[in-house]
Amino acid sequence: MVKLKAPPVVADINVTPMVDVMLVLLIIFMLIIPKLNQKIPITLVKTKNDVTLQDANKDNAIIISITRDGKVFLSPGNEMIQDPDQVLASKVKDLQKDRTDKTVYIKADTRARFGAVTGVLDDIRGAGVQELAFITEDISGRLSGSGTETTATKNGTL
Amino acid sequence: MAMAVGSKGSSMCDMNVTPLIDVLLVLLIIFLIITPHKPHGLEALVPQPPPPNQPPPPPSQNPAVEVAVAKDHSLTINTKAVTWNNLPKQLQDIFKTRAQKVLFVKGDPDVDFRYVADVMDVAKGAGLKTIGVITPKVEAGQ
Repeated sequence: MVKLKAPPVVADINVTPMVDVMLVLLIIFMLIIPKLNQKIPITLVKTKNDVTLQDANKDNAIIISITRDGKVFLSPGNEMIQDPDQVLASKVKDLQKDRTDKTVYIKADTRARFGAVTGVLDDIRGAGVQELAFITEDISGRLSGSGTETTATKNGTL
Repeated sequence: MAMAVGSKGSSMCDMNVTPLIDVLLVLLIIFLIITPHKPHGLEALVPQPPPPNQPPPPPSQNPAVEVAVAKDHSLTINTKAVTWNNLPKQLQDIFKTRAQKVLFVKGDPDVDFRYVADVMDVAKGAGLKTIGVITPKVEAGQ
């Protein structure tokens, strides 16, 4: 009588799926981290009656960021503008050349001085910019209650 | 013999899809986490400088409505003081009878941007289509 032999027991864990997943994770983080690092620290204003700005997500959207301490950044290119009064108008004009959508997106920090914002607006006004959009954070979905309530609480803290 | 080999080959034909599904699930979870959030915002306009060699436009019957935020965050609509609570109602009352839904917003240079943005937010909530931001150069007429 021939005795059937079972295959030898393999005590090793099959690591191939784990290695697959880890490699994918590695590649994804390699792609994401450079994008995260180039972000400018800006706390957006929270608003309720905003509209969705589809075009602001495009790569070539002209976004001017104003930080809390009044620094001005221009995107695409994500470069810091040292002397906005002198150079911002010409740079924006260059970006707007042969483009139909002339909107300039202003991403101002919630605690930036309004004087800094109007300064930038005056600069780009010289470049013929008329249409603006202030990028804000939408809280209409998250906040319950009417608008008068929130303004009331804000009024109390002033 | 040939028959036996053939049948053995067909039984080995199943692909091991488990690693593929693992990888795809991880990809799915990662893309769920980093969903590209849609940017939101308030649209506004900057008044353009008037063309040279042109007389200023005649004053119209309905003067422009201008909301100003002072240094102490108090509000005025065309020099009439209002509170933050009353602002939505005041704006609605003013623009009920107006055909042109245009509001100008002005702010002290030293106030935080958020107060001016709040005024714009309230104005959008009151149904105003066009909001103009008054800058120092606009005020100076340049």
